[in-house]
Amino acid sequence: MVATTTAAVTTAAVSARGVARSFGSVQAVANATLEVQPGTVTALIGPNGCGKTTLMLMLAGLLRPDAGEIRVAGADPRHDAAAVRDAIGWMPDQLGSWDNLTCLQTLTLMGRGFRLSTHEARERGAALLGTVHLAEFADRPTRVLSRGQKQRLSIARALMNDPAVLLMDEPANGLDPRSRVELRTLVRELAAEGKAVLVSSHVLAELDEMVDDAVFMSKGRTLGDEIAAKVADAKTRYRIGTLDDDLLRAVLTEGQIAFDDEPAGMVIRVGSEADAAQALAWLMSKNVPVHRFGPAGSALEQTYMTMEEERR
Amino acid sequence: MTVLDDTPAAAPAPGPAPASSRRPVKGNPWLPTLRGTLLVTQIELMRRRPTAKGWIFYGLLFAGIMAIGMFAAAQSDGSKNSMLLELVLVMVLGAGLLVAPSLSATSLNGDSSEGVLAPLQMTRLTAGDLAVGKLLASWLFALAVLLTTTPLLVYAFSRSGWHWDELLLVVAVILLVVLTATAVGLAWSALAARAVASVSLAHLTTGFLLLGTLLLFFFTQPLISVTVTETSRSFDWDQFTVEQEAAVDAWYMNGDVAAFDEVDVHDITCSVQDGGWEHGVARTERTAWLLLANPVVLIGESSPIVNYLTWDEDGRAAPGLFAEMHRAVSDARIGPSEEELQDSVSWDECADLVASVTGDYSAYEDNGWEQEQEANSVYPRAPWLGLGVQAALLLGSMWIVIARLRVPYKKLRQGTRVA
Repeated sequence: MVATTTAAVTTAAVSARGVARSFGSVQAVANATLEVQPGTVTALIGPNGCGKTTLMLMLAGLLRPDAGEIRVAGADPRHDAAAVRDAIGWMPDQLGSWDNLTCLQTLTLMGRGFRLSTHEARERGAALLGTVHLAEFADRPTRVLSRGQKQRLSIARALMNDPAVLLMDEPANGLDPRSRVELRTLVRELAAEGKAVLVSSHVLAELDEMVDDAVFMSKGRTLGDEIAAKVADAKTRYRIGTLDDDLLRAVLTEGQIAFDDEPAGMVIRVGSEADAAQALAWLMSKNVPVHRFGPAGSALEQTYMTMEEERR
Repeated sequence: MTVLDDTPAAAPAPGPAPASSRRPVKGNPWLPTLRGTLLVTQIELMRRRPTAKGWIFYGLLFAGIMAIGMFAAAQSDGSKNSMLLELVLVMVLGAGLLVAPSLSATSLNGDSSEGVLAPLQMTRLTAGDLAVGKLLASWLFALAVLLTTTPLLVYAFSRSGWHWDELLLVVAVILLVVLTATAVGLAWSALAARAVASVSLAHLTTGFLLLGTLLLFFFTQPLISVTVTETSRSFDWDQFTVEQEAAVDAWYMNGDVAAFDEVDVHDITCSVQDGGWEHGVARTERTAWLLLANPVVLIGESSPIVNYLTWDEDGRAAPGLFAEMHRAVSDARIGPSEEELQDSVSWDECADLVASVTGDYSAYEDNGWEQEQEANSVYPRAPWLGLGVQAALLLGSMWIVIARLRVPYKKLRQGTRVA
């Protein structure tokens, strides 16, 4: 028991096992288990009210879990909260800012809260404002910022202490398409620096290209291996669009190839991109009029939808 | 449970080393630090920096106070008067008690609903830093009110007959009372979910201390009263001889005492009438502590003693508000005298007659109330109970605030989220 705990602590930057928390009679998180390795981005996915934010608050050391074990950068938020806070950059889902203060003042004061010297904090604040493309707002009060700009300020604020772990709660909310692409690039860069990033989001297509790993949550529980298998399965699904679906059905049946007959088109499973090329060539050789052939959409989205269906 | 209390593994933390001037830490410190407290105070003051309109309003207020001061100076006849100083001090207290708790009572639940509290809790600032920093920031506004009135205060002081150390003491006590009210406001802000509720509760607490203690003192008086009976003695006409009756008649009708040359006035007999008047005398010395818990009484008990008889020779102004308050409170603390608690004869017809015949009115020349007033006015001051109440409220409130600000939260305020 102790041996496994130690192993988990030394490998993962964030680990949670069997974490639970209730508010009065409401069980917000029933049983959550996850790990985030340094240098990777992990998505936390689930419907509204499934306990994502509560789990993030417990990981950040703001809420005390009723049960379970949490380690962040090797420290337990219950006993070594200061060390955890030093290691975490937390971007909350609620956008709050000090209305009267400028963006640079906000970041400088935040940095001083992390015991940086005033000079150091201002330098770092100015650099981060550049990173999130808010440099021109450095000396404007934060009340003039739009929702998306506040979101970006919040990201800069979370990075003030150069954290080893970054927890981002709905970071893409309210961002315009360009900012989303920039956010994706920024998150990948941060992971490349060795930071462990945990992102919760509803914009699943966005996450597909950003994350290395995904944790699904439903009704306060993280879903384990069976959902991982579903993600892996979803990644092999290729959708075929043809001018003659009956012909395709006949060809596939004749070739004894399993397929899902969906309204939007047939779906087959291929092991790799090479297999896909081979499958397409074979379909062409059978004279099937294929006009579209490709992955059947976001793997995360597909998994999410199957999970949602099970929920109902 | 053993799993929950499992101590963290001793293995070194992975990941990049923290930046520059920061050192790794252990535990979950909550005590306020000087550096953190000053940072929080600075943040709060920067956030509440007055706008242009705010400065204009402040300027008008300052001009108004100056005008009152100049008006008072023009009206002055040069004699000593402590009333103006006392009014300025009461004004500073009143403004402080209104402004500072209003600010502090919105500063935790308000920040929480704006979503700017949790990001600060996620820094290295401790719960104590946040609590004390916010307390100081709100309290500094009361200090600003005091500084605004300084010119008026100095002028009023110059005519008050007070000594400067006495003024400093009273000002310090006023600032303590305001600090306590600010801390109480902050505690309500940490307990109540909504700003409206915490501001109301903060002012109700102040109101209870100011008025509630007085009301309790008066409403509990029947409980501590003893009943005394006052009776009267009148002429016993049935027992009189003919000569005695004629002599008393003559005195009665036209004040003629000549007849008492023959009749010995001391032989005239009187007797107690039936019944008498029963009434309660409150033993206020048993409940006077209620008054001492009142913050305004505390300020009276911290102000200089002014003797009601000798103030002029003592180089003092005539007794003002605070001296009068001290006298009244001392009266309650001393309570009724032994004589007042015993059944007494309020009117004796025979004694009246003897006095008018012999011309000896010494028994009627009662200047007891003047002596009592002087004794009350110089009775030792009793600020300690009031100071104790203030200190207990201050420390208790800050304890609540720090306990409620410590993360990870075990319990949340009813109807709120973490933010």
